[in-house]
Amino acid sequence: MEYPFWDVPLLGGGMLIGIIAILHVFVSHFAIGAGLFLVLTEIKARRENDTALLGYLKRHSTFFILVVLVFGAVSGVGIWWAIGLVHPSATSALIHIFVWAWAIEWVFFLVELLAAFIYYYGWNRLSARTHIAVGWVYFAGAWLSLFMINGILTFMLTTGRWTETRSLADAFFNPSMLPSLLVRTAVTIALAGLYALITASAEADESLRERVVKYASKWVLAGISVIPFGGIWYISRIPDQAREISMGGAPVVTLFAAASVVFSAFVLLATLLGPFLFPRRFHVTFAFVIVALGLVTTGVTEWVREAVRKPYILYDYMYSNAVRTEEVQLVYEQGVLGTAKWDLLHEVDRADLLKVGEQVFRFHCQSCHTVNGFNGIKFAVKGWEKDFLDIQLQNLNQLKGYMPPFLGNEEERKALVEWLYSLNNPPQQTARR
Amino acid sequence: MPVVIPPADPAGLPAPAWLLQILLVFTFILHIVAMNLLAGGTTIMAIAHWKGKSNPFFAALGARLCKALPVTMSLTITLGIAPLLFVQVLYGQAFYTASILMAWPWLLVVALVLLAYYGLYLVQFRPDWLGRWVTPIAWVSAIFILVVGLLYTHNATLNLAPEKWAQMYAQSAAGLHLNWSEPTLIPRYLHFMVAAFAVTGLGIMLLSLLYRSSDSSWADEAKRFGARLFIGATIVQLAVGLWFLFSLPNSFMQSFIGGNTVHTIILWAGVLLAVLAMLVVNRSALGAVALTILAIALMSVTRHSLRGMYLSPHLDVNAIPVNPQWVVFVIFVVLLVAGLGVVGWMVWQFVRGGQAEAQSTS
Repeated sequence: MEYPFWDVPLLGGGMLIGIIAILHVFVSHFAIGAGLFLVLTEIKARRENDTALLGYLKRHSTFFILVVLVFGAVSGVGIWWAIGLVHPSATSALIHIFVWAWAIEWVFFLVELLAAFIYYYGWNRLSARTHIAVGWVYFAGAWLSLFMINGILTFMLTTGRWTETRSLADAFFNPSMLPSLLVRTAVTIALAGLYALITASAEADESLRERVVKYASKWVLAGISVIPFGGIWYISRIPDQAREISMGGAPVVTLFAAASVVFSAFVLLATLLGPFLFPRRFHVTFAFVIVALGLVTTGVTEWVREAVRKPYILYDYMYSNAVRTEEVQLVYEQGVLGTAKWDLLHEVDRADLLKVGEQVFRFHCQSCHTVNGFNGIKFAVKGWEKDFLDIQLQNLNQLKGYMPPFLGNEEERKALVEWLYSLNNPPQQTARR
Repeated sequence: MPVVIPPADPAGLPAPAWLLQILLVFTFILHIVAMNLLAGGTTIMAIAHWKGKSNPFFAALGARLCKALPVTMSLTITLGIAPLLFVQVLYGQAFYTASILMAWPWLLVVALVLLAYYGLYLVQFRPDWLGRWVTPIAWVSAIFILVVGLLYTHNATLNLAPEKWAQMYAQSAAGLHLNWSEPTLIPRYLHFMVAAFAVTGLGIMLLSLLYRSSDSSWADEAKRFGARLFIGATIVQLAVGLWFLFSLPNSFMQSFIGGNTVHTIILWAGVLLAVLAMLVVNRSALGAVALTILAIALMSVTRHSLRGMYLSPHLDVNAIPVNPQWVVFVIFVVLLVAGLGVVGWMVWQFVRGGQAEAQSTS
């Protein structure tokens, strides 16, 4: 509550981040796997003197740079933009805890980027050996970049010993870091195959198309088959409460977790029954269907990963509404508006319960809820009487484990009850009745 | 309205403030040189496509610039990440707040960059398919990049104006503010954009070196064109720079014209280097490049000092607690050196490959 709150109507800030992040994840993981795909396939093509395959790789690499270097890089910056606007305190914490980790990631990214350009523009300029070496440099830079980001990302859910030691090593090498790295690496392999299905199915030469489609489908299958093992390992390392939320504790999250498994199975089945068994009849439309399934899988999985972190944004350190756990007592004492720096109500407005309630909602609740859009509070409290609202607020974290405790003082709670009640029972209407 | 400033992050700084400031200014210089080549280069590319319909020199200039621009775009973005990281480390309290106030325009930056980038690739890869749309698409990319620059100036100036924040936020929390009321906004923006054309002039002179043997008459003309662009833009820049200087709050301006010896020397030494670069540009392009980079470096230091003047009543980076992480810092430096070594090796192989290719075809 140290920063002004950006009011994103209907969508909510979290959803905005989600949209950008899911698209980025879907492209950036491809970026990494594609590095391995290009370099291993190039080695194979050159060893077998397969000029047709080499020609395909050149075309695939054009697609690769247009997707990866443009959309991948810019959407990655986009996430950074969005999280800074929506969750400034948490972004600031991640930046400050991991300054040098970010700086190291930047070095890997710089190498990755230049290697990609030189690989792409170097098909005819570099010797085969050097070209392959540059391909390896690209893959190494890209994977190491994932290695760095993964450590920071997993920290958000499993802060581990860092909460006591405040040591960077504990933060980075946190409990879920390795399993997540395994899952993500497997995803990169699967996505490399998935995207290659698109370019392969667009090839004109029939026998080449059939060969590459079959070859690419093996990448998808290989990647996907590792994911369950990594996934189970990952789930075993996350906090108990997070596991409970995904397995019944919060119905929507459980539903999405199930959807993640189901859609992964769809991708597996579609790949098996389509390009793997019948590569000759494989069509570009089918390729897009599998890619769409892959995108849905990525979307629901990342959404679950975010959702199970509730009520925290940084586990055991900062709640979703930017209150640090160590500040809870302070907020209890001073009230939400007493601690929210950007509550700019004038003295005269303080007497207006509805205005106070709305401000309390903005700084305490709106980082997850919109008023009448995504996760809209108006619908959540429909039909609730004032007494019931009050009881809910008093026991928020007990009744709903994925929500932080309500930290306002009594006056603020009463004001919030009034405002919440007014959403479905407008005051003029009530007065007329 | 009170002045509301968020507190510094409790994690503190992972190195002394001076070191982070050096890294901030150094990486900013790298970013700004790439940005200059991108903003000026894309605009000149659009102009060249337009004039190229009747003029073969411009037609070739448009096509040749176009090949270099996607890489320049990528470098601008990537080299911008590092200074933005250090800005958030040192001045996050100002950066997040100002950005939230102009959240939608600030987010628009990402969309505009993405579209401008695809525009550049479209013009490079599919000119036949685009047909008569090549020039309009080139212009769209150029205009988007110039607008991004303006949005950056809004953000940078709003960062420096904590006294405006509470007023703005009380008006609206929708994130639609801009900083039009700022008197330095336009001169500051022009100061960066005019520099972009000057630096692009030098960039075109360097580009001409690549075509010295394959297309010598074009290379000569490109060299002259680049030098003229550099000199013209730098003369305009002298006027814009004075405008910027006089638009500053009086006490800040005073410190650059004698009030503070160090600030005064750094600023005017930068101006002197730019003038020297104009004088030598026709004799030695590389000499002008070196002088200009030095001038940009001194101007970046001046920019940093100016930030200090604006923020000193509200924020003090030297007061933030320091919890040094020297081991990780050393790992970073080692990896940076190794990474640059690998990049150097790859670029060297690429250039060598190009020479071999040229020899085998000739």
